[in-house]
Amino acid sequence: MPGTLREQVASPLAGATDQMLADRAADGDLRAFEVLVRRYGPLMRVYAARVLGSNDETDDVVQESFITAWQHLGTLDDGSAVKSWLMRIVSRKSIDRLRARRQHVNIDDTDAPAPDHHAPHALAEAESQTEALARVLAALPEDQRRCWTLRELAEYSYGDIAAELNLPLSTVRGLLARARKTLLREMEEWR
Amino acid sequence: MTELTPANRRFLAFDLDDTEREQAGLNGHTIEQLSDYLDRGRSPADPSIDDSPDCDIALRGLERLRRSHKALLERDLERESLRDDSWVSSILKNITLEAHAGREIPLTHPSPTARLVVTEGAVRGVLRETGDRVQNVFVGRCVLVGDVSVPGTPISIAVDVTVFPGENIPLLAEQLRHAMYVALGKYTELVVATIDITVSDLQAPPDASAQNKEH
Repeated sequence: MPGTLREQVASPLAGATDQMLADRAADGDLRAFEVLVRRYGPLMRVYAARVLGSNDETDDVVQESFITAWQHLGTLDDGSAVKSWLMRIVSRKSIDRLRARRQHVNIDDTDAPAPDHHAPHALAEAESQTEALARVLAALPEDQRRCWTLRELAEYSYGDIAAELNLPLSTVRGLLARARKTLLREMEEWR
Repeated sequence: MTELTPANRRFLAFDLDDTEREQAGLNGHTIEQLSDYLDRGRSPADPSIDDSPDCDIALRGLERLRRSHKALLERDLERESLRDDSWVSSILKNITLEAHAGREIPLTHPSPTARLVVTEGAVRGVLRETGDRVQNVFVGRCVLVGDVSVPGTPISIAVDVTVFPGENIPLLAEQLRHAMYVALGKYTELVVATIDITVSDLQAPPDASAQNKEH
């Protein structure tokens, strides 16, 4: 019986609700936590890679995020909100990384000019629309990219983004509007 | 993709800094307003947007951007899911169970110099495992209420469970309560006055589609 127990419970847990998994993990259930890692780790990795603009530090940031999450799961009141809670943690860790990486640069500078990144025409024609978007996203000024990524991947509200980045709501709105227009324009040119 | 937009008709009439030009090219609206309009599912309908060819072109551009966004996210997630499993094990290896050990619960021992304890976390683990052996029940949070550090002090236990639809809840709760008493008697010396079981949720049995999403 002990031999079969793990198999019996491993598969139902994979389909358990976020709430159930978060509650069990908060009680110290490592298997429930592992399901959460598998469920949201990939999204957190994509998120970190987008914010950091590279994959080099993604592993570290996501690992740190999950370690923090494990330690503080008991403070999460509503287990069904575990996804946005995890996204918040990885967002903070990613931003900490950026700050550490570029201490000498003011990363809150909202007036950073967009780099000139127009690809040669031949290259543009060869890449798919998806690849084009990846390239354009990566070329957004850092503050715009952070807002955009929080909005699109972490599904933050404007207010959440403002609170998270310690920016006025109007600034967040402006950064997002600018990012959206830049993306639209670039994607339109790519067509 | 079928392109309904007239050939070469593009909406580059705005520049990034000039809202007036943007509004002039979009029948008085801004890209942000059009994006919000899409977020609302184009409801309530706004004729000044719906009937404007310029807005229509911009809306299609926004929708195209969203589709590309979705495709990019799917591609990235797909790529992540193809990675080997080492990142998961690396995370699990680096977390410590002590974080959730909780209080220490003494166990008696014949030797006066020996001090044996079982942690609260371990007891919760026993309760969970016991619940997992009962069909069609998920055990969620388990709370030990009372002073567990003083041997013999009666405590109560609160357990949240999820039960699948169609189950006889009172019967299942009784079965679970009994199994938990037995397990606690086996592994601890706790004096358990009551086990309160709260059926906090009803959920459909996990289906394949939900699982597929995670793997």
